[in-house]
Amino acid sequence: MTAAVPAVAPAARRRPGTATVLRWEATKLAAQVRSRALLIGAVVVPIAVVLIFNTQLPPKDTIYGRHIHTSGYAVPLFVLAFAHQWVLPLLAALVAGDIFANEDQHGTWKTILTRSVSRTQIFWAKTLTAVGFNLLVLVLLAASTITTSLLVVGSQPLPGLSGQLIPAGHALPLVIASWATAVAPVLGFTALAILLSVVTRNPTIGVASPVVLGMIMQLVGSLGGLNKARRLLLTTPFETWHGLLTAHPFHAPVTTGVIVSAGWLVVCLAIAYLYLRRRDITGG
Amino acid sequence: MTRTRTLALAIGLAVAASGALTGCGQPDVTKDRLERAIGPTFAGLYVHRADLLGEHGITVRSVGAVTACDRGGPKVPDVGPGPDWICMIHFTDDHGQPQDGKFEVQVRADATYIAGGPSKLIGQATLTDSHGQDVPNPVFEWDGAFDPDH
Repeated sequence: MTAAVPAVAPAARRRPGTATVLRWEATKLAAQVRSRALLIGAVVVPIAVVLIFNTQLPPKDTIYGRHIHTSGYAVPLFVLAFAHQWVLPLLAALVAGDIFANEDQHGTWKTILTRSVSRTQIFWAKTLTAVGFNLLVLVLLAASTITTSLLVVGSQPLPGLSGQLIPAGHALPLVIASWATAVAPVLGFTALAILLSVVTRNPTIGVASPVVLGMIMQLVGSLGGLNKARRLLLTTPFETWHGLLTAHPFHAPVTTGVIVSAGWLVVCLAIAYLYLRRRDITGG
Repeated sequence: MTRTRTLALAIGLAVAASGALTGCGQPDVTKDRLERAIGPTFAGLYVHRADLLGEHGITVRSVGAVTACDRGGPKVPDVGPGPDWICMIHFTDDHGQPQDGKFEVQVRADATYIAGGPSKLIGQATLTDSHGQDVPNPVFEWDGAFDPDH
């Protein structure tokens, strides 16, 4: 037992663990004005949105828009339906599309790689930081929207999507579950932003192109010619919560959505990882 | 150069894949699924309307809604999303009279729809409820969803 200790200790001292790299990435992210503003925005903006919509005529062309004055549970669903069109892909990309490419922008790849850490460690630390941050933003956004809606509009029964009225006690878990279905596609968009950020080495492209791709997928998906292939789009999992709110709930789209999002996540991260591993870092 | 080529390749592959998959499998939006969703939904909302008006004895069973949907006339196949769906709902109204209502339905690719009914049969956008307050008429226009798998 004691003989093994000296053999391990120098190696551990030479190469810091991924946890150390992760801590540094989190510290770097926390020091950015952009990420702090995002966290504050995720809490404050929904409050403003709910208060403004409370004085407007109901926006009937978005699902649940017509009920925003009659049930506080309808408001977070309306906000979710609106947000997944481009707000959630944008929120997912703001940090993830920048976290790799900003090292190119500042020419700091060589600086971080000389700290005796491997590219694999850097890759996972940055990926986990982006994923954790995006989950935090989504949770804050959902919590702020749901709380404000219930306080401002009230906890009336929620009209379902099959003509039934969902009692207030059952409505809250359903609203939270609906927001939870956004986790999978948000992580998919996070991975897409990471891939584009690694490949293009440009933070602007890393942030903007997932949003544009999301809008294109939304447009292609709304045409209806795709039929079952529509399920392979990364935007379709954002719509699966509709099935939770019918009289006979159907969960198959939610499951498919999670599998499709996981597929996008794995493929995007695998390509990004290989690209970063093989990349020739000489400049900077 | 390599970067541009990789990106072009990736985009090309994505376009090719989506093109190859276009039209694969059964459509999500069908006449059958729409009819099965709209009938019970209308009946539920009609009962809700009766409750608001303080009318008793109206149940989903007594409304007995039977639906027949058609898209864009006889020449258009009855599948796929679009704003040109028409559903005829046969039901028994709150006075016990049989009625046939023509509902305009806008179906979206995400298996949700917006249906609007004739105000002659179901009333205006707002109702005066049994407490004398103006409330939205639940059957005037509503959002619904159906299962795209069954």
